[in-house]
Formats: sequence, structure tokens, C-alpha cells
Amino acid sequence: MATVPKVEVGTDYKEKYGFFVPEEYVFKAKRGLNPEIVKEISWMKQEPEWMTKMRLRSLEIFRKKPMPRWGADLSVIDFENIFYYLKASDKQSKTWEELPPDIKATYDRLGVPEAERKFLAGVSAQYESEVVYHSLQEELTKKGVIFTDTDSALRDHPELFKEYFGTVIPPADNKFSALNTAVWSGGSFIYVPKGVRVDIPLQAYFRINAENMGQFERTLIICDEGSFVHYIEGCTAPIYTTDSLHSAVVEIIVKKNARCRYTTIQNWSTNVFNLVTKRAMAYADATMEWVDGNLGSQITMKYPSVYLMEPGAKGDVLSVAFAGKGQHQDAGGKMIHVAPNTTSTITSKSISKGGGRTSYRGHIKIYPGANNCKSFVKCDALLLDDESRSDTYPYNDVDAENVTLGHEATVSKVSDEQLFYLMSRGITRNEAETMIVNGFIEPFTKELPLEYAVELNRLIQLEMEGSVG
Amino acid sequence: MGFTAESLGVLQGEPDWLRERRQSALHSFEGLPVPSKTDEEWRRTDVSRFDPGQFSKLEHLDGQKLVLPSALPKGVILKPLRQAAKDHPELVEPRLFSLVRADRDRFTALHAAFFTGGTFLYVPDGVVIDTPIVGQHFSHEGGTSVLPHTLIVAGKNTQFNYLDEYIAENDSETGYRSGSTEIFLGDGSQVGYVAVQKWGRNVWHFADQRAELQKDSTLRLFNVTLGGKFSKTRVEASLAGEGSNAELKAIYFASGEQFFDFHTLQDHRVGNTRSDLLFKGALQDVSRAVYAGLIKIEKHAARSDAYQANRNLVLSDKAKATSIPMLEIDNNDVRCTHGATVGPVDPEHLFYLRSRGIPEPTAKRMLIQGFFGDVLDRIPFEHARKLVEAELESRIG
Repeated sequence: MATVPKVEVGTDYKEKYGFFVPEEYVFKAKRGLNPEIVKEISWMKQEPEWMTKMRLRSLEIFRKKPMPRWGADLSVIDFENIFYYLKASDKQSKTWEELPPDIKATYDRLGVPEAERKFLAGVSAQYESEVVYHSLQEELTKKGVIFTDTDSALRDHPELFKEYFGTVIPPADNKFSALNTAVWSGGSFIYVPKGVRVDIPLQAYFRINAENMGQFERTLIICDEGSFVHYIEGCTAPIYTTDSLHSAVVEIIVKKNARCRYTTIQNWSTNVFNLVTKRAMAYADATMEWVDGNLGSQITMKYPSVYLMEPGAKGDVLSVAFAGKGQHQDAGGKMIHVAPNTTSTITSKSISKGGGRTSYRGHIKIYPGANNCKSFVKCDALLLDDESRSDTYPYNDVDAENVTLGHEATVSKVSDEQLFYLMSRGITRNEAETMIVNGFIEPFTKELPLEYAVELNRLIQLEMEGSVG
Repeated sequence: MGFTAESLGVLQGEPDWLRERRQSALHSFEGLPVPSKTDEEWRRTDVSRFDPGQFSKLEHLDGQKLVLPSALPKGVILKPLRQAAKDHPELVEPRLFSLVRADRDRFTALHAAFFTGGTFLYVPDGVVIDTPIVGQHFSHEGGTSVLPHTLIVAGKNTQFNYLDEYIAENDSETGYRSGSTEIFLGDGSQVGYVAVQKWGRNVWHFADQRAELQKDSTLRLFNVTLGGKFSKTRVEASLAGEGSNAELKAIYFASGEQFFDFHTLQDHRVGNTRSDLLFKGALQDVSRAVYAGLIKIEKHAARSDAYQANRNLVLSDKAKATSIPMLEIDNNDVRCTHGATVGPVDPEHLFYLRSRGIPEPTAKRMLIQGFFGDVLDRIPFEHARKLVEAELESRIG
């Protein structure tokens, strides 16, 4: 096995990625949250009036909604001490060369252009709150695919935008979706026309780079009838001393016969609160797949969900969570069967180490009349030491006829037999454990494009460094 | 009318400590809020239409019938609980409501304040009782409360079986019912406990069962829930001694508009403990079942082995099942598995039987019997097994 440089994830981003580029902003809203700041954000973006109104209404809802009383402890978030909007550079860059040098340097370290040269269709990298770099292959444009940042979409495709924005996740859905709707900025907007298949994964890198900087990106994906798209979101973030909040909203509409896959590898620094609402509506014979990897952050609360709206719809969640010291990954998935003859599966793999805590929280709901549905949930948890913790909270509600629902979960440690076998072959304990962990999450990694699979394996390796035997 | 300090007055002749305890439980009852839908445990369990006050007449003060083995071994105490509170305060006072806490919620408080009937069983160290002991709790009239409480103390290395039967004379009775049980298992003891709840179809029933297991003890606990329009049963095992082993099984059969709620806890407080839970139920008509169970492995409970499963057989398009099997694992050296299923009679099984010329209703009945079959085998003693089989037979048929 290759030797791994001695680095600790979460403490050495400076060396690894060379972050901490000096902040240079065109516009930085004041700290805190009030109608004036929300209006200012909307004004800065020159948004139509309906959006300004929606933002203000959402702020009201956010104010009224209580903090969730379940899941992780969120009481430490100080909403008044967060910058809700920063704009890093004045105009959208069309080409790589036009990017500001410091931002370019950061991305060079992350390897974005490298990946792009190889096989990426478009890179839409989010630096602070605004998408600064955006490129699309000509082919996509020819096919009629829209892949842009969400702010531009509001400006350039107002009709399409207004038709779908906030329809999957209304502001009043939960406290954090209300917050996001009030102050959202950036994110990706994708529209795939009828019958179009986008063969190459679309991807964007998200980054947080300013202290006390909240990122509230908003992603909206519309897959029209019979289309296919795979969107990949990957996150890395430098470590900072005070807590940072990331609260995104992702809305996806998968129409008749269409298929959408949404892949996330999330590796926020370990002081980030990652509170994300992700939801898709799947219509007749459509397929929605969430592939969700959660490694970083201090607290993650994220339950990608699929509303199965019409017969034949299919939902899939494949989720991996890794919680190290001081981390709490509260992840899972939700499948809401509204229509009959719909199917869903949730597969969750979680690993806890060094006192970390992973929780699976899921909900399967079969509404009355949604007959002949099938749903299966499988959760596996691996506890690497006796300080760590694993929880499973699956909620299964069946209100219809002829429904088959199954839930299974196991919690275990790295088995002594497996360890002994590998060590008897001359492999060190640490390497053997890493191999076992990589094997444990293999069903997840094999769903990832190659470069992400490599990155994930490497991240796991880093996390496993110096792990207690 | 209502449950008030005055209504406690009918419970004459009790020792001071018990009277005070009842008063304090009544005080808790008055102070505790009605559980609302915002409480996780009660989100799917609606008690807003239940007013216990309308059933505040206690049907009887010591209304159970004890079926005793012909001769009890020396030292065994088997008495109505209120009598035992007078005769053996040193055994009863420190234990009564120490496992099933009176202040847990409104209904545990009310039960603790007004319990009547129920049994106290004390089995001294080393005693083995071969024949099962049966406590039968009857209700004869509607509109009343019947609130029995069972307290079982198993000494070291004892072995015995106990059956609580909750029986209604009139299946359409209304009223408020409970049937709570506390079991203390001493080192090395082996206890079988079965509760069969067949109150009338229109009563509200609340049961809290909790056992504490010391070193190397084994509990085999089995619940059968058939009666009530509303029935909420908590089954909790606290594994407090190394080598202890709790087997918690249940079957339920709901029809009409019955609503059953089960809340279970397998609390592994120390290492080398084992628990095995299986709750199986069939739902007909517009009935509804909610199962929520938790396996908790505490920090130092290494080498624990826990299993938890809830299986629901849904026999109608209007029946609803909710299953929430939860795990909280704080130690890595454990084996923990759980599962839940909700589904109809397997169409392939049905097809197979039909292809053998068996009419559909018979085939369905056979499959339901088969569904319960494996768990019925786990009823800890013959007497209870036969009783339950007969009871189930009549309901499925």
C-alpha cells in the first residue's frame, strides 16, 4: 500500500490546498440579518420585485419558526454574527484566463482546470457567494441545455425560473429553507430539455473562504420529459477559527421518464454547520438518485428526499457519512410515496471514529391510496473505537394497501478476524483498517466518477491516519 | 366526577407510605400536561379525546383472581398487592413504582395514584416453582376504571413463570384500563412473564412494563395485545448485570377501529448482555399500529448483543402501520441488528396454496397462522401458549 503523507484532515488545509487567499470583495453586506440587509442583497443583484418580496416573506417565516428540537445541537449558531452576502468579483468571467489571479491560484491547487480539461462539461465554481467562473461546452448549448448559476438564471430565464423556484421546497418547509430563501445567492441552475441526455457529469466546486461567512446557495434542476443529467457537487473548505454556516437548498424536478442523479462529496472543514434541504419531485416512470457523501463539517443535518408523485416513479438514496473527533453527522434520506406503484431504496453507510457520532435519520411515508409500493432501507454502521457513537432513527409510515416495506440495520466494529487475516499477510494494523473501511463503503465509491472515487479513498485514508487500534 | 383527592378516600386501610405515594402521584397527574402531538412519543398516538375523569369510578378494589399452584414452596409470597403493602412493607415499599415511575407522564401518574388489584409475588433465593402462577384481572361493567399493578421480585437463582390475563366479560364495555408490571430479577434468576390483554373493544388501555435484570438472569417476556379501542404498551428491559439476557416478544391482532401503540426499550447498561426483541402483528379493517423501539447500548456495555424486529402483516387497504426501530450505540464492541417490515400476505405464498386447491380465505388464514407461528413458539410456558393459540385461532377464523 502506498505511503500516505502525514497530514490531518481539518487542520492543514493551508499546506494542502494553499487556501487563505486574502479576502478581496467588491461588495460585502453587513453582519446580521434584517429586512434591510435582505433588500440590499436583492437590490445588489437587481432582482425582480417578486423575488425581493419572496425573500422578505421568507425572512418573516425564518423569524417565526422555532429551531428544530431534534437532531444535532444547533443552539450555538449566532445568526446575527454572519455575513449573509459577499460578492467576490465584479462580473462573471467567461474564460479561465479572465479569472482573478488569486482565485485562479486557489482552484489550481484544487485541480479544477485539470479535471475540466479531461472530461468535464462545465465548471461552475462558487467562490464566496457568487459564481465567478463558468464554462459550458458548446455541445450542451446546442442541445438546449441550460447550465448556469442561479442568479444568472433568474435574470436570463425569468419565466422558467419563476415557474419552478420554491415549488419543491417552499420557504415555510423548515427554518433553514426559509433562511436560504431569504438570503440565497449562487448555486447552479440546470434545465435539460425533453429527450436530451447529458452524457458527461456536470459539476461545480463550492468553497467557503471568508470567516463567519454563510453560504446559502440555491440549486434548481429541471429534467424535462425523457431527459437525463448527472450533477456533481463537491466541497472543500479551509479551516477557520469561528463557526461557519452552510445552508443550501436544492430543488429538483424530474419529469416523466426522465432520470436525474445528484452526487455530493461534502468535505467542509470541521467548524462548518452544514444544514441542507434537498428534495426532488419524481413524476411518472422517472428516476431520482441521490448519492451523498458526508465527511467534513462539525454538524451535518441533511436528508435528501424524493417525492414520488406519479406511478412508476423510483427514488434512490445512497449515503455515506464519516464522523471523526467532534463531528456529528446526522444524515439519511426520505421517501414520500404519494402515488401507487412507486419504489424506493435507501442505503446508508456510516463510520464513526475518535468520538465522532453518526446518526441515520430516515422517513418512509406511504400515503393512503399509494398502493403496491415497495420500499427498502438498509443502514450499516461501523464503529472504529469505543468512544464513538452510532444512532439509527428510521420512521416508517404505511397507510396504503399491498405495500412492501423493509428496514434493516446493523452496527458493528471492524472484525478481529478480518484484521487478523490482513495483518497475518504483513499489512500494518492501520493499513488493514483503512482497507476494511474502504471495502465497507465500496458500494458508494463505485457509484462515483473515477476522480471522485480516488479523492474519497484518499480522504478516508487521511481520516484513518493514526487511528486508534 | 373525576380523579380527585376525595376519590382516593375509597382506598381505605392502606399504610401511610402508600397513601402518601398515591397523593404524590395524583399531584403529578394534576401537574403533568396532556401529551400533545409535538411530543415525539405521542406524535402518532392521539389521546386528546380521552378523558379519564369520566371513568373515575374504580370497579373493584382487589378484583383479581389468583390461580395458585396447589402448594407454593416455602417462603414464596403471593398476595394482592395492596395486602402485601400492609404485610410486607420492607419488600414492597422500596420497589413499588421504582421501575415504572409515577411521574413519567399523566397516565403512569394516574395509574400509580389509583391502582387497585394486581399481585405481589416474591420468590426467595434458590426457589424453583414448576407450575405457572396465573393472575386474572376481570372487568364486569363498563364506564369504570380497572387499574391493576403487578410487582414481581425474583430472588437469586429462582425459576418460575407468571401469567397476567386481562379479561372483559363484555366485549363492548367502555372504560379506562391499565395493566402495569415491574419485575426485579436477581442474579441467575430465570423468569417467564406473559401478559394477555383482551379487554373490551371500546376501552382505553395503558400498560407500562419494566424489568431490571441482574447478573446472569434471564427474562422471557411475552405480550399479547388483542383488546381495547386504544392500547398503549411500553415494554422496557434494563440490563443491569453482566450476563443478563432479555427476550421480549409480542403479538398483536388489530381489527375494526383498534389503535395499538408499542414503545420498547432494550437498555444495555453493562457489557456481556443480550436482548432479543420481536413484535409481530396483523392489522385488519381500519385498524392502526404504531411501533417505536429503541436499543440503547451505553458507553461501557461492551460485548453486548442486541436484536430488534417489528413485522406487520397488513390485511386491508385501510389499515395503517408505523414502525420506528431505533438504535443508539455508544460502544463499538457490540453486535446490533434491527429490522422492520410492513407488507401484505405474500402473493406468491397465496398463489402456491391456491394452486393446491385451497380456497383463498383458508389459504389466507393459514398464512396468518404461519406468520404468528414462529413467535408463538417463543411463549415461555405451555399453559400460556395454549391459551394464546386458542385466542388467536378464534380471532383469525
